[in-house]
Amino acid sequence: MGRILLACVVSLCLYIVAFAWVLDRPLTLGALRDRIDASLRLGQSIQQPKLVILAGSNGPYSHRCETIEPRVGRPCINAGAAVGVGLDYLFARWKPLLHPGDIVYLPMEEAQYVRLRATTELGPDAAIMLRHDRTTLSLLPLRRQIAALFACGPRDAIMSLIEVSLDANGFHDPRTMATGGTNLWGDHIGHTALLAGFNRASLLAITPYHPTGAQIAAGYGTLLIGDFIQWAGLHGVRVIGGLSTGFADSPIGDTGLDAIRAIYRGNTTGFLELANHSRYPRTAFFDTQDHLNEDGQISHSILVAEGLNQLTDRTPAPSR
Amino acid sequence: MMFHTLPFILGFLPVCLAGYFALGRFGGPVWALRWLVASSLLFYAWWRPEHLPLLLGSVALNHTIAGKIQNSDRPYVWLTAGVTLNLLVLGWFKYADFLLHIAAPATPSLTIVLPLAISFFTFQQIMFLVDTGRAREPNGFQRPGVGGPRVTTVPLLHYAAFVTFFPHLIAGPIVRPSHILPQLIAPDLTCPSVRNLADGLLLFLSGLGKKLVLADMFGGFADIGFDAAAHGATLTFFEAWYATLSYALQIYFDFSGYSDMAIGLARMFNVRFPLNFDSPYQATDIAAFWRRWHITLGAFLREYVYIPLGGNRAGETRKMVNLMATMLLVGLWHGAAWNFVIWGGLHGLFLTIHAQYRRWLPPMHAGLAQTITLLAVIFAWVPFRAASLSSATSILFGMAGCNGITLPRMIVSAFPPLAGIADPVAVMPFLGDARTLSFPEVSACLLLGWLIVLTLPNIHRMTGRARRWTLTGSFAFSVQALFFAPHVAPFLYFQF
Repeated sequence: MGRILLACVVSLCLYIVAFAWVLDRPLTLGALRDRIDASLRLGQSIQQPKLVILAGSNGPYSHRCETIEPRVGRPCINAGAAVGVGLDYLFARWKPLLHPGDIVYLPMEEAQYVRLRATTELGPDAAIMLRHDRTTLSLLPLRRQIAALFACGPRDAIMSLIEVSLDANGFHDPRTMATGGTNLWGDHIGHTALLAGFNRASLLAITPYHPTGAQIAAGYGTLLIGDFIQWAGLHGVRVIGGLSTGFADSPIGDTGLDAIRAIYRGNTTGFLELANHSRYPRTAFFDTQDHLNEDGQISHSILVAEGLNQLTDRTPAPSR
Repeated sequence: MMFHTLPFILGFLPVCLAGYFALGRFGGPVWALRWLVASSLLFYAWWRPEHLPLLLGSVALNHTIAGKIQNSDRPYVWLTAGVTLNLLVLGWFKYADFLLHIAAPATPSLTIVLPLAISFFTFQQIMFLVDTGRAREPNGFQRPGVGGPRVTTVPLLHYAAFVTFFPHLIAGPIVRPSHILPQLIAPDLTCPSVRNLADGLLLFLSGLGKKLVLADMFGGFADIGFDAAAHGATLTFFEAWYATLSYALQIYFDFSGYSDMAIGLARMFNVRFPLNFDSPYQATDIAAFWRRWHITLGAFLREYVYIPLGGNRAGETRKMVNLMATMLLVGLWHGAAWNFVIWGGLHGLFLTIHAQYRRWLPPMHAGLAQTITLLAVIFAWVPFRAASLSSATSILFGMAGCNGITLPRMIVSAFPPLAGIADPVAVMPFLGDARTLSFPEVSACLLLGWLIVLTLPNIHRMTGRARRWTLTGSFAFSVQALFFAPHVAPFLYFQF
């Protein structure tokens, strides 16, 4: 029995050492980390009141700070990352960089409101924090820290070996050519309507999932956003909610919409609801319902900028 | 309740074990067995308590009929009645809808909920009745190596413990009464044994790792391909092969993991279960495969179906018919659907071909024989797993290359000659997470999985040291999956 217990303890120790200090995923998690760090560096460099867009990949694909910034008259940072990145992690990293007068726009994907706590705790940010950002990890609750310690499975170990060897051999992700890149504001660019043509069949086949109002109201993401709104209110930061982009033929249900509106109903918050509810025909998208193509992204951003101006007392600040 | 869930591992199991040994020590073996039966019934009722009366009624009725077989002047009337009754109950719950739709396809479904474990506890009790009947034969029924008392002398409590014993109740192994009942009346049954506890725990943790770490990982890969085919998607060569190879590993690790856990749990209670898996993918012919895959089901069907049908004693033609009939029954036992019938039929065909090959041709090279056997088994998993015959056909078309061959542009760029056989694409939509690196990821996982099943000995044939190294390699991943994975898939065999 003693030997079995010893084997179990050794197993746990090896696992923790491997994932906290040895194994890494420089290509997938590395790219995500680079993207998050780049937007944070940008946020750190701006001293005047700014607009920060926080969301999943709907942020960079469907919103263009390059377009919004001159229209709202304040620096804009597109800090959306990926739908799987934990909101608590994003908020924890951005809180030190937010100051009174800043606006945070949250066009969150519906899935982010209802994401399970367990799923959130095992997102890619858990591995990033465990390996590279233990300072942020130490700021999060103990449960989140323990979950980060056990966020990786055998697939992660295998992928780590593959990614490290590919990285060492100068691997270049061919998808950059197929989907475009990122500009100085953090916007995704180059995802043109022409390139979107390759995804036409899959775009037509997508059946978006819309959670119910009850699911959104009870969601773990909703809880995290509520906490963030409370913190922002205490620190003079204004939070404005918004709707993620989606297909015009698949609108958000009434109860779902009411539940999202309710999250941002407060003195220090606002909710930007475009006349079209951020719905567009499928031809305006790139590869999923959260990703407009570049033309759609620019048009949508103009509408968002106008909407934000209406919701805020515009206090022009010099653009970068 | 499932073996790989926290309520079972941290709640039910320790309480059940503690109560069993405490009652065994202070109240005697009868109280310990009463506790064990009560715990097993709670375990069974956890999922759907409304099916508990069916299990209890089945146990009581079969015990009564066994008593009639033992004491009546016409034992075979009671035996026939008992077996028929069991088959009728099983038939109603499992096959009524299937047969109704064959007879009258337009009829609305009966929407019968299949009671958990009915296939297993029905077979278990049919075995008991038949053994009881055979014990009345003039020559007796004591076969070589199957010792122990005559089954009919078993009191109801021991019989109930034999049928409901939770480690095998839900999904086997299908244990012989003559193997288990003597253990349940052994004087040292309820004396705690550190050796048995340690061995059982090691087997249980090994099975847990197989299920949570390996089966669920390969299940994820398989589901993507098979679900896509079910929704009408066209799978290319590698997508179809990878989905099928993943499913072959999923079902092996899932069921052999479950069996290891069951054997380990029984061992903790001082009961030894027979081996249920013996590295079946290492078999060098299809008959050997069936002696190594779900061994206890194979043994049951051989003993209680194939041999009574005449086995191989009634000429070659009859032997082939018997083989095919037995394998069709194996298919139907897994579920009332045509895909299972086809799977069983394919294995019947393979066994027939193998029997004829052995009869007329010289033995094949072992490596070639193993390859052919493995390919046949993998091929047959396609209809077994597919949601419909059309999606099975679609997958098989993909495996044959009829839907084209694609590879990630990254791979083709790295190995330019591949451009001659495969079209470069950004991502393969039905392979892994459909990311750029999904192809090397799934390839590496499959390589690891197949290396394990084809080259390593199974846990029962490992040395103690090798077992502990296996535990060292898997335990932390099991903890990760058990405590932190947002979703744990149920055992595949729960549905059978």
